[in-house]
Parts: sequence; C-alpha cells; structure tokens
Amino acid sequence: MATLIDAPPPTVAAPKSKSAGGGLGRYILIRFLLIFPTIFILVTLVFFLMRITGDPITAAQGGRLPQEQIDALVHQAGYDRNLFIQYIEYLGNIATGNFGRTISDGRPVVEMLIKFGAATLELSINAVVVALLVGIPLGMFAAHKRDKVSDAFLRMFAILCYATPVFFAGLLLKLTFSVGLGWFPVAGRASTTTELAMGRLAAPTGIYWLDALRSGDLSAFGDIVHHAVLPAVALGLLTAGVFLRLVRTNVIGTLGKDYVEAGRSRGVSEYRLVTKHAYKPALIPIITVMGLQIALLLGGAVLTETTFEWKGLGYQLAQYLTARDFVAVQGIVMLLAVIVAVTNFVVDIAAALIDPRVRY
Amino acid sequence: MTKSTKALRSAIALAGVSALALTACTGPTGGGGGSTASGNASSVIAYGTTDKVTALDPAGSYDNGSFMVMNQIYSFLLNSKPGGAEPVPDLAESASFTTPTEFTVKLKSDLKWANGHVLDSKDVKFSFDRQVKIADPNGPASLLTNIESIAAPDASTVVFTLKKANDQTFAQILTSPAGPIVDDEVFPADKLLSDEEIVKANAFHGQYVIDSFNKNTLVSLKAWPDYNGALGKPANAGATIKYYTDQTNMKLEVKGGQIDVANRSLSATDIDDLKKDSNVKVHVGPGGEMRYIVFNFDTMPFGAKTPEADPKKALAVRQATANLIDRQAISEQVYKGTYLPMWSNVPSGFAGANVSFKEAYGDGSGKPSLDKAKKVMADAGITSPVNIKLQYNPDHYGKSSGDEYAMVKDQLEKSGLFTVDLQSTEWVTYNSASKKDSYPVFQLGWFPDFSDADNYLTPFFVGGGFMNNHYSNAEVETLIAKQLVTGDKSEREKAIQEVQDLLAKDISTLPLLQGAQVAVSGTNVKGVDSTLDASFKFRLGTVSK
Repeated sequence: MATLIDAPPPTVAAPKSKSAGGGLGRYILIRFLLIFPTIFILVTLVFFLMRITGDPITAAQGGRLPQEQIDALVHQAGYDRNLFIQYIEYLGNIATGNFGRTISDGRPVVEMLIKFGAATLELSINAVVVALLVGIPLGMFAAHKRDKVSDAFLRMFAILCYATPVFFAGLLLKLTFSVGLGWFPVAGRASTTTELAMGRLAAPTGIYWLDALRSGDLSAFGDIVHHAVLPAVALGLLTAGVFLRLVRTNVIGTLGKDYVEAGRSRGVSEYRLVTKHAYKPALIPIITVMGLQIALLLGGAVLTETTFEWKGLGYQLAQYLTARDFVAVQGIVMLLAVIVAVTNFVVDIAAALIDPRVRY
Repeated sequence: MTKSTKALRSAIALAGVSALALTACTGPTGGGGGSTASGNASSVIAYGTTDKVTALDPAGSYDNGSFMVMNQIYSFLLNSKPGGAEPVPDLAESASFTTPTEFTVKLKSDLKWANGHVLDSKDVKFSFDRQVKIADPNGPASLLTNIESIAAPDASTVVFTLKKANDQTFAQILTSPAGPIVDDEVFPADKLLSDEEIVKANAFHGQYVIDSFNKNTLVSLKAWPDYNGALGKPANAGATIKYYTDQTNMKLEVKGGQIDVANRSLSATDIDDLKKDSNVKVHVGPGGEMRYIVFNFDTMPFGAKTPEADPKKALAVRQATANLIDRQAISEQVYKGTYLPMWSNVPSGFAGANVSFKEAYGDGSGKPSLDKAKKVMADAGITSPVNIKLQYNPDHYGKSSGDEYAMVKDQLEKSGLFTVDLQSTEWVTYNSASKKDSYPVFQLGWFPDFSDADNYLTPFFVGGGFMNNHYSNAEVETLIAKQLVTGDKSEREKAIQEVQDLLAKDISTLPLLQGAQVAVSGTNVKGVDSTLDASFKFRLGTVSK
C-alpha cells in the first residue's frame, strides 16, 4: 500500500506520456551516438601515440642496418609521410572496412582479431563464471553473517581479490598449484594433443571448450577445462571481490525491507528469506556492474594471458606493441573499444529499462 | 547452527564443489607430457622456444624464429651438415666459381616438391629474383646485394653473376636466411605469400612438411620421406614446435617433460637452475652472438666534435677502458657462463679469429690491469677522472643488460680514472638515437647472418658501418676488402687477423662477450649436441628419444 510519503509529487507522478516515451528513446539514441566519439577518440589517440614512439622497421631491423637503409625502408613503407595524411588514409580504410595486414607478421587484421578475440572471449567467459560462482554465494553468506567474524573475513577477502594485481595473483596461483602441487598445467589453453585436434576442426568457433563439446570430444573438453582453471581464477577473482561486496551490501539492504520483515514475522526461514526474497532484488545492480567490469576484465586479460601463455588479444597486443606494429595495435584497440562501448551501451539500456529513474 | 544456516552453507559449498568437480573430473589428459599428434610419443619431438615466426615466406622474414622453421621445411642450394658450418651441397650436386664473377650451381636430378611439382633451376632463379624484387622490410634481401644477375641455362644449372669477384662469403650466403628455395608454381614473383597459403599448397622440400600450423602457438611437422639433401633422413617421425612468451613457462615445461627440448631463450639464472636438475640436460654449443661497447668518435670524451677534442686523449680513454674491463667477472657473475669473454672483433671459433684484445690490454692473460690503465691515461696527459656517459638498452639485448652494465660502471669507477653516468633507453628510441650521435658510449649486440668472419667486419667497419660511430681506417677497409676476395684460406685468415689487430689498436668497438648456444632437454633426448654447431641452425632431424 502506498503511503502519503511514498506518493510522488503530482508533477512527477503524471508526466506526459509522450515525453516519457521520448525520454527513453532520446536516452537510447544519445547513448548509442556516444559510442562513435568514444571509439573515434581512442583510435585517434592510439594512431598518434604509436607513431610518436617509433616505427616497426626500426624496431625489427634497427640493430643491423645503417641508418640510411633504415630510412629508405621507412620511406618505402610510407611511414615518413605527413602524419595527418596517414591519419586520413587510415580513417578512410576503416570506413571501407579495410583493416589491412599486420606489419610484423603479415596476418590479415580481421582474421587475427577473430582468432585471438575468441581466445580472449573464452577467458573472459571463464573468468565471469568464476566471479559469479565465488562472488554471489560468498556475498550472500557475508550478508547473512553480517558483522560476524566470517563476514569480516570475507570482506577482507573481497578487498584482497580486487586489490591484488592480476599478474601477481596469476603468478601466485601458478607457483602454488602448478609448480608446487602439480595440480594444474603451467601454461597454455590446452595440451599439445588437444591444440592439434582443435586446429583440425572444420569451422571452429575458436572457443576451445565449445568446440570440444561440439565435436563430442570429452577428453579434449576435460583437458581444456583443466588448463582454464588457473587463468580463469586469476582473472575471475578480480571481479569476484566486487561482486561479493556488492551482493553483501544489497542483500543486507533488502533484508531490512518491510516485505522481508513481514516474511520473517510470518515464520519464513532465514535461508529462504536470503535465497528467495532478498537475493533476487540484490542481483539487479550486478548487471550494471558486470558491464562496467568488462573493461577491467579486458585490461586484466592482457596480463593474465601473458602470465599463462593464453594466446588471446591481450597477449597479441603486448607482442605487437613491442614490434611497433601500428596496424595490429590499432585493430586490437579498436575492437576492445567497440566491445567496451557496446557493452556499456547495452548495460545503460538495461539499467534504464529496469529502473526508469536512470533516464531522467 | 540453524537449519537455514546449514542450508546456506550447503549451497555455497555446492557451488565451490561444482567448480572443483568440473575440473577434477577432467583430470590431466596427458597435459603434453610428450604426447603427440600421432600418439607415438617415442618418435615425435616436442620443441619449445620463445622465438617468433614472422613469416614462412623466405622473402618476408629475417629472424631466428622464422629461419628455424624454414630450416626444417625448405632446402638450400648449399647447407651445412650437423656438427659444422662448412657449406656442402644440399639441392646442389656441385657449386663453385667458374669465373671470378660467376658462381655456377649444378642441381641434383629428379628433384620434386612435396606437392609433386618439379623442382629445377627455374625455381632457384625465381627464389632469388623475387627476394630482390620484393625487398620486403622484414626480409633478407640486403644479403643479396652482390648478385648482378641469375641465369638458368638449363633445368639443372644456375649461374649467379656477381658484382664483386671471388666473393668468399657467397657460399655462406646461400646457406643463410636469403637461401631457401621456393616453389615457383606456388609463390608469387612480386609479393609475399601468406603462411596459410604456403601450408595449404604443401610447398615444401626439406626434412619435414608442415602438418598443422597455428602461428606462434603450435606447429606440427611430419617427416618427409623424399628428402635426400645434406641433412639426411630425420631421426624422428615428426616434431611439434611450441611457442612461449614467458621463458619461465618454457623452463617449467621442459622440467616437467611437457616439451623435450627448450631452445632460445632461457635466462642465465634459469639455465643455472636447470643445470642442477637431474631430470634435464643442459647442452652448450658455440655461439656467434656478440655483445660489445661502441665508442662514438665524435661525441665520446675528447671526441672530434667535443670542445676538448683530442684524438690522443680519446684513444687513451678507449684503451684505459679496455684495460679495466673484467670480462670473466661479467661472464660468471651476470651470465653464469652462458656468455664467454670475447677477445677480438671476430668471435672465437670462426676461421681467422684471434685474441688481439687479450694480448693488447689488461695483464695479458685476460685479467684487467689498473696499472696499465693509469699509465695510458697519464701518458696522454689526462690527470682527473673522465666522465663517461654510458648507455645501454634493457629490452632488446636481454633483461641482464642492466646487471652487465652496472658491472661495467663499477669496474670503471673503481679505478678512480672514470666516473660513469649509466643510462638506459627503450629500444626503438635507443636504436635511432645511437645512430644520431646522441650516445657517446653505448651498448650494442650482434647475431650473425651467416657463419663467416666477414659478417663481423664488413657491416661494422666498411663505409662508416651501420653503427655510424664516425670511425674510419683506410688500412682496415683495404684488408677487409682483401679477405673478402682471397680464395686461399690461410691468406684470407692472415688478412682477417691483421684486421683484428688494427681494430684492437683503434678500439672502435670493445668486444665484451660472446654468446653460447644453450638448449635444455629431457635426459632421454639424444642428438641435441650435434646440431648446436657454428651454423647456428637448430635441425630437429638430429633429435630423437
């Protein structure tokens, strides 16, 4: 029952239906249009920063050839032309869908993005699964044990999770569970046998566990999961800490609501109150946070992939940066920018649909 | 404990257990462990490296990672047999100078590619012509500058006409990254062919063909039974090449038996650690890698373009430095013996190499000499400590460069003759700045293009050299030109030694260390030592288990 205090002021309570609908439409349109300048700014920054810090020919041949020969090769490749002209040319190529070939190893950029993007997507999915499996149950438990020792311990654990640099967590996990205990492989996405088997599949998705399941090879699936555990945990814990604290806070908030109290007074068990009544509303903000965590996950993937020899976009980005491979770096950064921008757009829309106050 | 609490705990436990069970039920499926594509673990070699493949097309790459794979899948006119670096016929039946400017090669008969195409002189001419025509920035076309033209008068004869007569390095160049022969029916004449298309076309003629190619991740090779070149039949049925980013991962996997051989590059500390591990064997072979200090003759202390320019004093600074450096200490303390002291501009092991710096500087036995350094400085009239701005690079010549140059600084400063400002710069900037006179004294390194002493002389000291350090000595250039065209071996070696003696007097560069080739294998692996030779080519065909 709505009380007098809960009732909104008449001007807000009765907005013109046209303006309300227009508000959502306008909100979606603005959020959508913002994707383009975001990507444009990032791509522009990367274009100029990469060129300021050197060229791929000097990076590759610098130690061997006289400066005149290097200059000639740089000239031949067109890297000494006016930067602005190169930039316009680059934008033109992007507009026509021509992303070119990587300079340092001659791969078509689109193929490279698809191949390594699949590996990064696999790692990200694995990490999100870990984050959800760890963050949500522990968050619920911490809320249930509010201000007890176990709650304090879990809060500290959450802080440790997101405060520990991902490469350090990865290294620690590797040293403990691979080198020390020998439970998991040191590195890679799969054993040699499985990697070769995956390479021979017709029309693979590039997500190994999915490909293994599609081909019905359970042995390969097991091998892939076995290899995926440590990288997924290293990256997943980063987000799990955020989820844990968020779920805890929200569950505590909903546990104090009138309807929960009402349920409690009617004799509903504490377990049922937490898992059925308080849990679901507490999960709504997770959707928003998950979107925001995508950028964090992709950033963490660069380090995780390098630590665990996970040949994905992050790993490749590090390689191409060292080689000053303009074309490859631009391609990868653009894809990452698109992923982050689109994800945030989807999250914004989802949040607006769930909570109408967002668009005002 | 209430019922609800128990239930909640059970739910959480279930989530955790599910996650563990998901992995536990999978178990290790071989995890590598020598497991192979064919399932015959005893005959397929698992090789690991941190090198990278730039391209399988020989015209598009000039790096260790690409060349290693090329050595397994392509043939050369001349190649070196395991155990040495002497060029011997591979695709060729014979090869020699028929006139001072003509190098004639006769091919073996009935050669074919793995795809069934005919391999004849047209392929050979095509291979070199396209290298020069494409001149890819990542390619080795710069090695072929002495070729004037190539003719293929008949199916089994190739005649190289050279610009400079009697080029004694030409046979070696045919074994170098510029030398792999490609299929003219598959490769385009004027552009690079992608790796995928090469693999798809099965355009190979070597000990192996590529069975599966996942670039810079995993390559699977299968022995090719029709190869009958210099390398002979491989000692295994195939091999996999696994690529690592992190040398520590490679070290752990060779220790754990997931790979049979780890080669290029493990750190000195890792190698030292592995030497103590009874599960693996460390193999050491001669190396051509050189680490050295360059003096810029214009900007070094008392250099030609400094306010206090004085060639005599500048020479004294270089000589005092040479007297003070303790190479043995750097070799042992920083590189744990994986780099050895280098006593001349030509590394030991190459025909004509001597120990000119060892004889001329220090105590004559390789130890530093403070007295000699002091005398050189005093004789030149230098009384107060000289400040040296010493630059090194931390990301191109290995992570230990920092330790190496910290020791150099320490050794120089302990004498009281020098103060050293040690600075480091990231590679791309470093390389460019070092050639533009920004660094008075700086670190460089070198890995040979082919196994010949000339590769340590001509690129450095002829026509100003690639270092652009403003060193010039007409006598040195004359001797280098002489050795390049002298067919008589002993005469050539004599000229090479004379060059080294002159270079030791002038000290344009100060050779510090020479690298060894180091590979690590499981104790059950054989044949690694025989391929760690002066050709610097790792041939998987020698390895078995």
